[in-house]
Order: sequence, then structure tokens, then C-alpha cells
Amino acid sequence: MNLPLGVVQSFGFRLTVTLCVSMGLLVSSGFAQERDSLPGVSLGLVYENQPQPALAIQPFTGRFGGADLVDDVEVIVGRDLRNSDRFEVMDSIPAGLVGDVVDYTLWDRLGAVWLITGQVEGAGEGYILILELHDVVYGQSVERGRFRIPDEADSDFRMAVHRASDELVRWATGDPGMAASRIAFTMTDNQGNKDIYVIDSDGENLDRITNYRDLTLSPTWSPDGNKVAFTSYKSELPRIYELDLRTGEENMLPEVRGGGDYITPTYHPDGTTLAFSVTGNARSGIFTYNVERNCCLVFLSGGRWYDLSPTYSPDGQWMAFNTNRFGDAVPQIMLMPSQGGDAETLSPYEYGGRGYFTAPDWSPVGDMVAFHGSISRGTYHILVASVSNDGRRLNQLTWEGNNEDPSWAPDGRHLAFVGERRWGFGLFVVDVATGRLRPLLAGRRVGLPDWSPALSTGR
Amino acid sequence: MIVRRFFIAVTAATLVVGSCGGDPPPPPPAPPGPDMDSLRAYQDSVQATEEEARRLAAEEAARRAEEAARERARQAAERTLVQMVFFDYDMSEIRDDAASALRAKVDILRASPQVQLRIEGHADDRGSTEYNLALGNRRAVAVRDFLTGFGLSESRFSVVSFGEERPLESGSDESAWSRNRRGQFVITAGENAINPGN
Repeated sequence: MNLPLGVVQSFGFRLTVTLCVSMGLLVSSGFAQERDSLPGVSLGLVYENQPQPALAIQPFTGRFGGADLVDDVEVIVGRDLRNSDRFEVMDSIPAGLVGDVVDYTLWDRLGAVWLITGQVEGAGEGYILILELHDVVYGQSVERGRFRIPDEADSDFRMAVHRASDELVRWATGDPGMAASRIAFTMTDNQGNKDIYVIDSDGENLDRITNYRDLTLSPTWSPDGNKVAFTSYKSELPRIYELDLRTGEENMLPEVRGGGDYITPTYHPDGTTLAFSVTGNARSGIFTYNVERNCCLVFLSGGRWYDLSPTYSPDGQWMAFNTNRFGDAVPQIMLMPSQGGDAETLSPYEYGGRGYFTAPDWSPVGDMVAFHGSISRGTYHILVASVSNDGRRLNQLTWEGNNEDPSWAPDGRHLAFVGERRWGFGLFVVDVATGRLRPLLAGRRVGLPDWSPALSTGR
Repeated sequence: MIVRRFFIAVTAATLVVGSCGGDPPPPPPAPPGPDMDSLRAYQDSVQATEEEARRLAAEEAARRAEEAARERARQAAERTLVQMVFFDYDMSEIRDDAASALRAKVDILRASPQVQLRIEGHADDRGSTEYNLALGNRRAVAVRDFLTGFGLSESRFSVVSFGEERPLESGSDESAWSRNRRGQFVITAGENAINPGN
């Protein structure tokens, strides 16, 4: 299979995942046992073990009225940089200890490799945030930028600061950040109904975007971040709707002749097409529909079996999906050209064997597909399969509880997923490179997260 | 009554007067005896009316009993139609117990051509949310295909999956899961035209 790797490289995708070949390197002793259920697959992950560069933040200063919000801005930036998992962010230092001038010798002595300085200036309507990245080792400024941020009361305030944080990450690493993004997911109420909620990448601004008090599932972001499509039973039968977050306008996708359930929508990276699954129709499987021209229903794959949960490669040429064509008890992940065609299995299925793999999500910047699978029967973990030309590899990212429905962040490095622990359910974020895990929203009955693209403007 | 009292009073007065001497008065005319013929006719007609009423009541009771029996049979047929069927873990195959429950529906559906059913497929909450939607649909379709296999028209059935979203039991053990992996039935048309069949 010829995957378009040029796209991946042009994004500067530099994920340093070292794969474990020798079982002796594995930490978990119970692992050898579990591995037996997946013959022929190298499972496991040795995370990058070189220490992350230390990054210090010199207390931000404010001018022309900017002093009022400078502390809040600094806290948001500091948390974003921690959440990027690309630095060891040093503890903040009292402003009294450092002046306005950058003292590279001081920061070098404290062990910093990078230093951020920031200033917030009042600018008529709103503020200007001036950020500067310094290379402490070479004792010089690397990059400096000005970012317009609105008043703190403005709904775009935090997102504007997140966008500045993402630029800092790009300056320091060359890779995109993911702070300026949201995660859509379902939350279940006491009646067992589900509605769609969104939350910022740092766990702030939990917001409900549908209020049907029915079953509403499988939210998916449009590539421009302005729309969310989902399945809802609000008109009794499961149908796919597209909701414009700016206008609140909502459209239902037309029905194919013969009915059926309309489930698991996803957008093509160009934003013109929705791919989804129809089940229970004489023709069941994956369809596409052009939502821009409001036309052209195309049947891609399926038949007597069901193909569902499609997800596009970043260049739109390929599609990964879930299928039950090997049997109801052994759902697998397959790949095919996005216009339809021969499919091949990505998950480690052997004919007549066991294995339950579902919920694929293709990385928005790379040659990786995340999904969840049953490693030992009844326990589900997040897995990442590499689909590059130099061979297929499968890595396990979670080891505790049950973990389902991974969704890639726009940086192609973090995954949001639903974790079930002894204390309940929650949304988690894992960094694929370091294995670092952070809870995003704990103790709620959440499901089916979908991470937005980088959001250029707030809504 | 008043008449009779008066009559008694008159008689008594006559006796008192009579004891005073003089010709005995002629015996009073005998009180008129009942007209036996008309009495009999009257009694006959009452009896006939009562008999007719009894006959009508019996007929009514029989009709009602029959109606009640029909309604009971209709209700039993309705219960049979909506009786759930259950599935094995991660399977959409019709089990033997489900097959006999479905077979019982076939006779009723054949005798009740106006009846339409919605078949709802459900899954237990293990596994993935989206895949369970597909699995629930597979189960609903398996039920529909079993029924249409007996010659019933596909147009009488609609299928919908609720995945793991609408459990019957809330527990997290096999007894709850086995009840949640099910096909459920809703009569969407012809509810009043259910014919239990033979």
C-alpha cells in the first residue's frame, strides 16, 4: 500500500516513538500473557527517554491597563506549555527576583533551556500580548510575536491566549501545538439521554451544544471548526445532523431509500463531504454526501456486513473504518482508498482468531491510526497503529481500567479518550510520545470524544 | 285498601241495624271475583317479558364473554407479538428460544395482515458505543429476516438499533447483560386488528 508520506513529512511530523521489539524491555509482568492473544504483533512502547528541555516563564508584565489580566494570561500560557508535554515547565519565580531585563546567566544557573517573557498592553479595544522565546543556552532571543487578545469577559479570551501558546510551541519545536482547540463529546443525564458538550483542551469552558434530551451521539468537527455533525434520535429514528456553531442553524442529511440507521459521521479533510454509515438498509455500509452542494450520495463499501466509523487520512486519499465482515464478535479496523476499493486489515486479525478492535481515528498530521481493542477479553485499551511504508506497528498506550474511543488532537501527538476507572468515567488526554496521562473531565458519564482542529477564531 | 275498609264498615253497620229486627236484608252481592282469564294473560305476559329479558341478558352475557375472550386472545396475541427475544454475547444469531418466540409471532402476523412491527435491536454496554449501534442493528435485521423467511412481507417491518443506550437492566453482570442483549417489538400499525389466528 502506498501511503502519501510526503504530507506527513511536510508537516514536520517528528514523533519519536521507539518500538519495543524485545519483550524483556517491558515493564508489565502480566504483559507476556496478554501478548499471547495477539500473535505476531509487537505490542508495547518505550517512550522517548531523553529529558524534555526545561522551560522557564519569567513573570509577565503589564502596561497601559494590561496589568489587570497579566496574571491570568501567564497562568493560561504556563498551563498550555505544560499540557503540550514538550517541556519541563519550571516552577514560576516571584516577580521580585527578576527584573524586566532578561538575565540569561540567572536562568542558565536555574537550569532553563528555554525562557518565555511576556507583556500585556492595553490597546484601545482589547489588549496586545507580546511573547518572546529565548534560548537560554545561547543567550539570545529566538522569536518574538504580538497577539491580539480581547477583554477577559469576551468568550474568545482564553482561546486567543491558547493560540499565542501554540505559536510558542511552534517556535520552540517546529511542530503545531493543540491548546487552541476543543473537544466535543457526549454526556449522559440521569434519564440515560445523551447530549453533545464541548470543553477546551485545558479542561475549561464546559459547554452544552445540543439540548434534545434524547440520544445524540458521535459528534465530529468540520475541518474549519465551525460545525459539528452528529447522530441524533430526536426525530425518533437515528439521523445525521450538521450544526453550525456560529449561527445555530441545523440541517439533517437526506435519507437513502429504504431507511436504516444513520450513524458515525466524519468530515473529509476538505470539509465538503461527510462520510457516514447506514445500517439496516438493503444497502448497508459507508456512504458519502456532499454537504457543500447538498447532493451526491455515494455508496463506498459494505454489503451483507456493516462497515462503520469511517475516518480519513489527512490528505483525504485513504479511509480507515470499522467492519464486522469477519463476524459480529471480531470487529476489525480496515483501510481502503477513500473513493472505495479493495480494503486491507489494519488491526491484528488472524482468520478464525479472536480480537475486538473498533473506533478508529486517523491522525490529522501523520501516518497513524488510533483505535481501541480488547487485549484480554473484556478489557479495552487504546492502541495506535503506524501505517507508514516501513511496516505496520501497533502500540498500546493505556494499561489501567478500560479505555475507549480515542481522538487525535490537531498536533497529532495527543489523544483524548474515555477512561473507565474504579471511581467512574472520565475524559483523559494521553501524550503518545511520552505516555503522560492527564484527566480532562473526571467523574462524568462521558463518551465518544472528538478533538477539534486548531481553532483559528473563537465562536 | 280504603275501599275494603269501607266495605267492612258497611257490613258491620248492616249487622248492627239487622239485630234490631225487621226483614233481613237481601244478602249483599258477592264481591266481584278476579277475572281469571285476564289475570292469567297478565301473568303470562309478565313471564314472557321476564323470559325475554333473561334470554337477552344471557345472550348479552354470552356476547360479552365471547368479546372478553376475543379481547383476551387479542391481548395474548399482542403480548406474543411484543415478547422480547434475547441474544448471546457479541452475536446476532437467532437462538433456539428466540426462534420459538418468533415462530409464535409468525402465525399471528399471518392472520393479522394490517399489523406492522418495529424491531428494536439492543446490545449490552460492553464493547464500543458505535460498534454496539451496528451490533444492535444486526440483531434487529436478524429478527426481521427470520420473520420474512416465513413469507411475511418485509414492508411490514422496520428496524432500528439503540445500541447499548437503552438497557432493560442497569447492572454490570451477566444476568443484566443477558437481558440487555435483546430484540424488542413495537406495534406501529393495526394494533386493533390483531387476529390471534388459529
